[in-house]
Order: sequence, then structure tokens, then C-alpha cells
Amino acid sequence: MEALKQRDDRAFGYLYDHYSGALYSIVLQIVQSRELASDILQEVFVNIWRRIESYDPSRGRLFTWMLNIARNASIDNVRSKGFQNTQKNQPIPENVNKLGSTVTQTNVDSIGIRKTLEKLRPEHRVLIELAYFKGYTHEEIAEIEDIPLGTVKTRIRNALLQLRQFLKS
Amino acid sequence: MNLQEYISSGIVETYVLGLAGTEESAEFERMCAAHSEVRRARDDFERLLEQQALDQAVEPPLQVKAKIFSRVEMEKENTPQTKYPVPKSIPRIRAGWSRYLAAASLLLLAVSTALNYYFFSQYKKYILKYDELLSSQTQLVGENKVLQTRLQDFEQTLNLIRDPAMVVVKMPGVPNSPSPSSLATVYWDSRSRDVYLMINNLPLPAGDKQYQLWALVDGKPVDAGVFDVKDALSLVKMKNIPKAQGFAITLEKRGGSPAPTLDAMYVMGKVSG
Repeated sequence: MEALKQRDDRAFGYLYDHYSGALYSIVLQIVQSRELASDILQEVFVNIWRRIESYDPSRGRLFTWMLNIARNASIDNVRSKGFQNTQKNQPIPENVNKLGSTVTQTNVDSIGIRKTLEKLRPEHRVLIELAYFKGYTHEEIAEIEDIPLGTVKTRIRNALLQLRQFLKS
Repeated sequence: MNLQEYISSGIVETYVLGLAGTEESAEFERMCAAHSEVRRARDDFERLLEQQALDQAVEPPLQVKAKIFSRVEMEKENTPQTKYPVPKSIPRIRAGWSRYLAAASLLLLAVSTALNYYFFSQYKKYILKYDELLSSQTQLVGENKVLQTRLQDFEQTLNLIRDPAMVVVKMPGVPNSPSPSSLATVYWDSRSRDVYLMINNLPLPAGDKQYQLWALVDGKPVDAGVFDVKDALSLVKMKNIPKAQGFAITLEKRGGSPAPTLDAMYVMGKVSG
């Protein structure tokens, strides 16, 4: 850890070799394009290198910290891209339903958390899709899905508890 | 809610996966600091997540590593010995682009507005011109119809006059006529016995008066109809007269009289032969 904070090349190289696959996987699950995911992975590691000093081990594991950087970068990218392409013209709920129904069709759906999503009930799956893979806040989801904020929170927690069971097995 | 309930409420997973709101996060961090059980639960889930992610790893393309390290090297050279400022959040990768895009779209909007204004004013101009053309066209069509009607009238008149079966009776002003220079002509069809009248020269009567044509049959006047001067610019068809030796016109009250007012006789002519 100290070596990393000193920005030691070898330590950083080890970090990359050990975690790049896991982080690439999560980026891929969000942006669903290998080319784009490669670009984002670059940004993620450059950002890890830049911000390593702000990592506080008392608040969680290094991987969790990196995972959240990767997830945020991917969501930022998808959202800013959304402004440029035609997707913005589609009503969001329709989009979500489409995602829900085509979960098994694209290859990235067979990896990671996305794979376990299939096992969730549809109303839970949609919430995780919106919250985790699209980065919507609970308030935004409540509006999109037209359900009370409290229900969104409870459902997400329940969905994640189930997800955890699936991850274990 | 006791500690165990709190731990198993889903908050651990929500927090670790970055889905907790700011309040939830702050509370969870307080709980972590205060209770080792909560920390342990968090750590358990983090390890599970990490292990799962490592198991499900997807190898990125080989060149990515080299690109990252060359960028890291460049940043090292640019910021020698100084600590890199920690950005508050991950910089948005496309932030620069969206600025240019915003500027470009504003520019496009301005251009489009200007063009819209230009085209709209052109459009209004052409609408006006179109209306002008339409009304002048309507006017021309109307004038054309009037001319055609008049032309037909003249053709009809000419055909009647040219007809060899037509008996022409010239009626000059009589000696005691109120207007001695008056002249009118009767065209009498010898087959159908239809009578047509042409006014060559008759003064305009007062509004309550009307000229009346008479046929002179065996010394007695027979009504052949009344007419207005303005209608008799070409030929006016009068009543059918089977037999007559002459024709005369008197001025009568509007609508005509059963017998002619002899001292208001203007013209008279005899049928020749």
C-alpha cells in the first residue's frame, strides 16, 4: 500500500495485473462495448494512479474503492454519450423494459453481477439495472418507475440481499 | 432496530456497491466507526464482491496496459516531485466535448433562427405576390367573359342583318317628331315573322317613360313591345308580328300603353314591296 502511495511503478503494475480484469468486467457490464470499455479502463487506472493518496483504508477495501471509480467513470460515460445519441429520445421506462427483456441476448450479460440479475424478480432486476448499471438516484428511480421513494429503498436493499446470496453460491 | 437487524437490512450491500444516499452513507460510516460488527459485515461483503469480481474477470486488450503506463509516465514528467492535486470527483471524460457541442449547438440554433426568419419573410412576400396575381387573373377572366358575351352578341346581330330573308324597315323621324333626327330600323324575319329592332338614334327618355314599337296592320296600330334604349345598342328581339305594312315608335308611360299616343310619335317606316 505504501509503495502504491509512493506511486511505485512496480506496485502499480502489480495492481494492474491483479485487478484490471475484474475492473474491465464491471466497465464492460455497464457500457456493453469492448472498445469503449478499453478506453474507460485507461481513464480508470490513470485516475487510480492520480488519486491513490485520497484512498482511506478505514473506509473500505482498495478493490471497493477502485470498483466505485470504475463504475462512476462508466456511468458518466454512458450518460454523457446518451446526450449525443438518439437514446435520449426514448422514454426511459421503455428503455428499461427493453433492457430487462434482452438481458440474455448480449454477451456481456453472461458475466459478473449482470449474470446474477437474471435470477432476480423483474421488479427487483429493473431497480438494480437503473441504480447500479445506470447510476440513477433513488429519487430519480421513484419518479421513473412511479413508486414511492421508501419502496425504492426497501426493494433495492432486498434485491441486493438476494444478489449477495447468489454471489455466494 | 438492534445491530444485527441493521447489519442484515441490506445497508451493507447498498453502501459497498455505492448505492446509498448521502444520509445513509454518513450513518453507515458512523456505525462502522462505532461497531466492529458492522465493520466486519462490510469487510465480509467487500471480500465476497472482490472474489466474485476476480472470478468473473475479463482480460482487457493487451495494449491498454502500455497506454496507461505511457500516460502515467507523461503525468510524472509534467508534475515532477509535486503531489498531484486530488480532484473532488472523477473528471467527466467527455466534459470538454460537451462544451464544444453546447457552443456549436447554440451557434446552429442562432443560424437556424436567422434562416427561419429569412425564409418566413420571403414566404410572406411570395404569399402577397401570389394574392396579387390571383386577383388580377380573376379580373382578366371576368373581363374576358364580358368581351366574349359582347362578341357573341355582335356575331348574332351580324348574322341576322346578313340574312337575305330579313326584311329591313327603315324608320326615320316623322315631321312632327319631338326629335326629327331620330332613326331606328326594324329587321323582320320573313319566315318566322320575328321582329328585331335596332336603334340608330333616339334621345334618352325620362325615367318614368319607355319607347313602344307598334306594327301598322291594315291601318291599325298593334303593340309590338316596349324597350329600353340601353338594351337596344345591338338588336332587341320584339314581339312576333305575322303581318304588317309599317312600323312606328312612340314614347309611352313605362310598361307601354294599349293605344299609341300619336303626338309622341318619333319615327315611322313602311314595309317596302
